[in-house]
Amino acid sequence: MTGDLPSLADRPLPGAGVTWPRRRTALAELAAAGWPQRRRERWRYTDLEPLAQAGFDVAPAAPGDAELQAAGALLASLTGAAPRLVFVDGNFSRELSSSMPSGMEALDLDAQWGEFDSRWAGHIVTTEHPLAALNTAFSQRGLWVRVHAGAHLREPVHIFHIGSNRPQLAAQPRVVLEIGEGARLTLIEQIVDAGAGSGWLNAVTQIRQGPRSSLDLYRLQQHGERQAHTSLLAADLATDAELRVGYVDLGGRLVRNDVDVALRERGARVELFGLFVAGAGQHLDNHTTIVHAAPETRSDEAFRGIIGDHGRGVFNGKVVVRPKAQRIDARQTNDNLLLGARAEIDTKPELEIYADDVKCSHGTTVGELDPDHLFYLRARGIDADDARQMLTTAFAASVLERVRDEPWRARLLDLVTARLGTLAEQPT
Amino acid sequence: MLTIENLHARVGDREILKGLSLHVPAGEVHAIMGPNGSGKSTLAQVLAGREDYEVTAGRVLYLGQDLLALPPEERARAGVFLAFQYPIEIPGVNNAYLLKTALNAQRQARGQQPVDAFEFMKLIKTKMELVHAPKDFLSRSVNQGFSGGEKKRNEILQMLLLEPKLAVLDETDSGLDVDAMRVIAHGVNSLRSPDRSMLVVTHYERLLELIVPDRVHVLADGRIVKSGDRELARELDQRGYDWLQTGATA
Repeated sequence: MTGDLPSLADRPLPGAGVTWPRRRTALAELAAAGWPQRRRERWRYTDLEPLAQAGFDVAPAAPGDAELQAAGALLASLTGAAPRLVFVDGNFSRELSSSMPSGMEALDLDAQWGEFDSRWAGHIVTTEHPLAALNTAFSQRGLWVRVHAGAHLREPVHIFHIGSNRPQLAAQPRVVLEIGEGARLTLIEQIVDAGAGSGWLNAVTQIRQGPRSSLDLYRLQQHGERQAHTSLLAADLATDAELRVGYVDLGGRLVRNDVDVALRERGARVELFGLFVAGAGQHLDNHTTIVHAAPETRSDEAFRGIIGDHGRGVFNGKVVVRPKAQRIDARQTNDNLLLGARAEIDTKPELEIYADDVKCSHGTTVGELDPDHLFYLRARGIDADDARQMLTTAFAASVLERVRDEPWRARLLDLVTARLGTLAEQPT
Repeated sequence: MLTIENLHARVGDREILKGLSLHVPAGEVHAIMGPNGSGKSTLAQVLAGREDYEVTAGRVLYLGQDLLALPPEERARAGVFLAFQYPIEIPGVNNAYLLKTALNAQRQARGQQPVDAFEFMKLIKTKMELVHAPKDFLSRSVNQGFSGGEKKRNEILQMLLLEPKLAVLDETDSGLDVDAMRVIAHGVNSLRSPDRSMLVVTHYERLLELIVPDRVHVLADGRIVKSGDRELARELDQRGYDWLQTGATA
């Protein structure tokens, strides 16, 4: 199948010549790992092969004035003025970004590749994430955020990924987050397109958290309806570090999110939650892996899917407990609401437990709206469509309650409610 | 107000109501009593429009219109209210939001202006006092984590807010202690008026000491087998139902 990576290796490599050796290495890793294929379990339910053949431009020119202007206009309509970090077509744009508050700095990754490679080598296993190698090969103007030890940032910092709607463009944004010991911050990441999109966003975010640090990362994906999306979030947590990740996926036609969290040292904990809404023609896949590598680590995972008629959802939640990781606590739930006879969900928990003193639980539900709930609301005078909408929104709201930033939670609820209102619902 | 003629209803192939007839004039409170399994709750659910029950014969006239032809929400908007025996918990749906949405859905159906948040709060506050509802009643999810008594009070609160023309109370007394029952009865009695009727379904007579009915009907095996005034309820309390069922089949 490496024959299907055709021309990638022949493309002119982007960026400065000094970055080419590492780009070539990444391409070699991609070739060795092979393009994601359905015969491998990781991609069984999500076919990414068409992405290899769709003729995307993986090394597009950096956005010009027209793209930056379009992005700036879109940005002005979005919540979250400052502080903000803005990407356009996968390129970090300092012009559109604001200055950073004290306690953190935003560096150009391109200028730091040498240091980055020496310090972060092996952070991503490319045999499991071939598309991360693709990102390394073609990513330009990446961002390296450093939050200083002990810094407490009270206001959320916003990250925007804006697609300018250039046809067939494959954007490769790279974000590296280094959170110092005891630092605390909230990041709100929004992914939007200036149009329906015909491109592909292949994002990689790498996080390393120092001891006792705390990061809340809330991501909202609202791609245009024709856009493809693949992403990897890889995080690694030191002693007593706390990570909270919340993904809300509303847009895109083909979306595959991978989230890998390594609880590397004692007492590290992660809360990972998500809501995905797949309408007709949308395919939304969340693949998560949480590794408990040390004792007394905790994970709490909750994903909810709302699938409309002709929509498709996939959830795969893997939890690995390493032999020395005693007295850990791992919880996982995945609840799905199917709104239509041709709505489809594939959901699978995967537990690999090699320690004996552990608390692990998982639960999966797939169902329709409860007819008793519907009747109760209708018996109060609320019409059937409104009652369905209320219950569907409530189903979504219960996972959004995990968002700790109140204004953002309220905003998410509004956006999700509006999205649910457009899901064509066909009573069975 | 309400006229039920020869009503037959079943769930699956089990017939539960077998020719029930009943007339409730405007302004009256009628009690439906009867042993477990006699069809009391089925009657309440059929009146509210539950689709699990299939009406196979008979008709129900409410203010002159064919009640059974209406979907549940239109019955509610026309003024029919069912206080559920087992109020449903709905996680994630805020209680205040439900109350306000229901009120405005009904107001709009009647051509009235919807109430805004401010008017709603003013309106609901006095009703909450009437049923001794705790302050956090509005901010919680509908019935979630409510005690049995709180759920029943929430039903009555909804009724006080929606001011139905025909209220059907399905075993609203079940699971309540005497004090809680007094609070509920006080709420219900505050709504009694010449243009409002009530059907109080209960297993026990004690609620009827507090909500005094104009008529008492005994439902057994899907039919009204005896009707009388409030003295009938007292008699049932002392003698049980067996003597009536024997009489009905003899």
